[in-house]
Amino acid sequence: MQGINRANHYVLGGLMLKVENVTKYYGKNCAVDHLSFTVKNGEIFGLLGSNGAGKTTTFRMIMGLLDSNSGQITLDGKKIDYSLTDQIGFVTEERSLLTKMTVQEQIIYYGRLKNMKEQDILDKLDFWLDKFDIRDYKNRKIKELSKGNQQKIQFIAAIINDPKLLILDEPFTGLDPINVNQLKEAIYALQKKGCSIIFSSHQMEHIEHFCEKLVILVKGKTVLSGNLKDIKENYQKKNIFIRGNIVPKDLEKIDGVLEVKENTGEYEVKIKDSSIVNQVFQKISSCAITKFVVEEPSLNEIFIAKVGESYDE
Amino acid sequence: MMNKFWFLTGSSLKKKLKSKWFLVVNILLCIVIMGVMNIDSIIKAFGGDFNQTNEILVLDQTDYADPIFEKNLDAYNTTLDMQYDLKVEKTDLSLEAAKEQIKDTDKVLVVLDSTEDEYLKASIISDSYIDTMYYQLLYQALSSTKAEIAFSLTNIDPTELQKVTSVVSVDRVFLNEDQTSEEENMGMIMGTVFPTVILPFFILVVFLIQMIGAEINEEKQTRSMEVIISNVSPKTHFFSKIVASNAFVLFQGFLLLLYASIALFLRNQLAVGTTSSITSEIGNIWNSLVTSGFASKLYYIIPLTLVLMILSFLTYSLVAGILASMTVSMEDYQQIQTPIMMICLLGYYLSIMAGMFEGSTLIRILSYVPFLSCLLSPALLVIGQIGILDVIVSIIILCIFNFVLIRYGLKIYKIGILNYSTDKMWRKIIKAAKSKEV
Repeated sequence: MQGINRANHYVLGGLMLKVENVTKYYGKNCAVDHLSFTVKNGEIFGLLGSNGAGKTTTFRMIMGLLDSNSGQITLDGKKIDYSLTDQIGFVTEERSLLTKMTVQEQIIYYGRLKNMKEQDILDKLDFWLDKFDIRDYKNRKIKELSKGNQQKIQFIAAIINDPKLLILDEPFTGLDPINVNQLKEAIYALQKKGCSIIFSSHQMEHIEHFCEKLVILVKGKTVLSGNLKDIKENYQKKNIFIRGNIVPKDLEKIDGVLEVKENTGEYEVKIKDSSIVNQVFQKISSCAITKFVVEEPSLNEIFIAKVGESYDE
Repeated sequence: MMNKFWFLTGSSLKKKLKSKWFLVVNILLCIVIMGVMNIDSIIKAFGGDFNQTNEILVLDQTDYADPIFEKNLDAYNTTLDMQYDLKVEKTDLSLEAAKEQIKDTDKVLVVLDSTEDEYLKASIISDSYIDTMYYQLLYQALSSTKAEIAFSLTNIDPTELQKVTSVVSVDRVFLNEDQTSEEENMGMIMGTVFPTVILPFFILVVFLIQMIGAEINEEKQTRSMEVIISNVSPKTHFFSKIVASNAFVLFQGFLLLLYASIALFLRNQLAVGTTSSITSEIGNIWNSLVTSGFASKLYYIIPLTLVLMILSFLTYSLVAGILASMTVSMEDYQQIQTPIMMICLLGYYLSIMAGMFEGSTLIRILSYVPFLSCLLSPALLVIGQIGILDVIVSIIILCIFNFVLIRYGLKIYKIGILNYSTDKMWRKIIKAAKSKEV
């Protein structure tokens, strides 16, 4: 499609969004504390955090809706202002749609705010409505659509301008698995065209699935950042999945085994680091074993551990 | 950014003009204006006994009073323009028989009698109540009849008696040529300023305030404000709302004028064959304006009033926009906009009453105050209480006030439109106004 093809001119790998030492205070409350990260062309970046961690504030600062107290945010080396926002797409956490408008009116409205011509908007709208199987809703009022379809419309509104940078604040909220897949495909398509994507989600599997790099925020502070692969590798705790005729109490006696759980005939053994793997294997080597797999912890575990640690401090 | 500004302005205007609310209100306004201006024709169109004959039965026990009474009754009915269709009939029946005759009818029995002390004594007898005007007509005719009988019986020359009993003639002179009476002032305000300035302005201000509040709150409530403000600056967004709402009220004002013109045209059509026509009515109004010396002032009153109206619309829209930015729902907005509506209402009543309190320093000072000046200044100007210079001062004050509103209001707006909390709202407004950023 015309819109997708136009995005091909983006240079993959070049420096795109740069957030440097950004701090934001609401009164005396520090919402974001010296946050720094960069997102390159074609990269998908995850921003994680529990409620009130500062994710939405960060997005608002990137979009210029809020001014930071210190630090700076640049896109291709330029401070983000209204001359650059035409190149950015933004899906807000709550649905930002004028519900009395029809789908077409709404997309034209947002598209025109991106300085697009009406005919270009209509061409791209047809493409995306087909892609999301909602062409029949083109002339329906937004308020008549289901939450899932409203979310799709919001997504289309954000990408109708072929953005260089796409900000997705909880984009999968209210979507069923089929719609989640449709949205994921669209996000991947945009990534392939060189669009940089930042998104936040409470659902860790989405972040784990999508993001190469991430930042975990707790009360505005960065508690973990970097490549997802490195984060997982550096996280010492591991999980061993064992299926067989073992005695769990024997394993619990090993120094370094943190927990043994049984789930439908399979045992999950949490260990403090990889040096414990051999001791566990030797302990059960005399038993009848059909499965012995060592896995890195899920992002969810890391998140809970990090957020919990931070709250404990 | 200018493209986006005009797009937002156009969208806002188009949305308002396409809304069902606009259509319904305008249909109602059109019907009301046409109805009010043609109310007499409408009442007549529904039929009714408008030419009912008023039958009067006269029982003359003096043998001389009846002809004089009938003559006076006819004279007063004509000179007082009461236009009753009177049918007077003298009866020779006894009082009881005459009472029996008018029982269960609309007829009125007038019994004329005299005593040693009174030249004429009368009774007005009816089956039920009669209207006050009708009673006044009978009373006046009876009083004159009594006087005439008295003149003839006492041989007093009526002219001489008139000289003695007539009230003192007082010629009231105002050295200030522009000075007019309270009645004239009220007549001038109610006849010219009220229908052309005060009432339309009040209606349009209500439209203006509601429109801005509804739009901003809809965008806030649906959170689309975040997407809009991420694409256009709050300043652009604010001015697009102001321009759109002012364009809307000017268009609505034009529509009101159009409805009034259609109503006048209809009145003219309905008046064909009768003495009243649009040209004669307009001619009468113009003649009264010329006689009062008001017509010669129109060349400066009209432009000054228009400038005041436009600047005042701007003031009201700026304040409404700023307040709407701090609210998160229409319910909140309805509460916060109440003081503006109260101020507008105050101006509305003060302008109507301006003629009653001639020379009032308070009203004169209030005519300089933004929000009120558009309503008060034209009224005071028309009755000669203030001059051109006073209106120019009001215009200058309005310009300065609007400048201050824009300067500090923009700061409040920028913070307000993305603020979804109503806690400590006034503190937030003051804090925002003090901030250095725009």
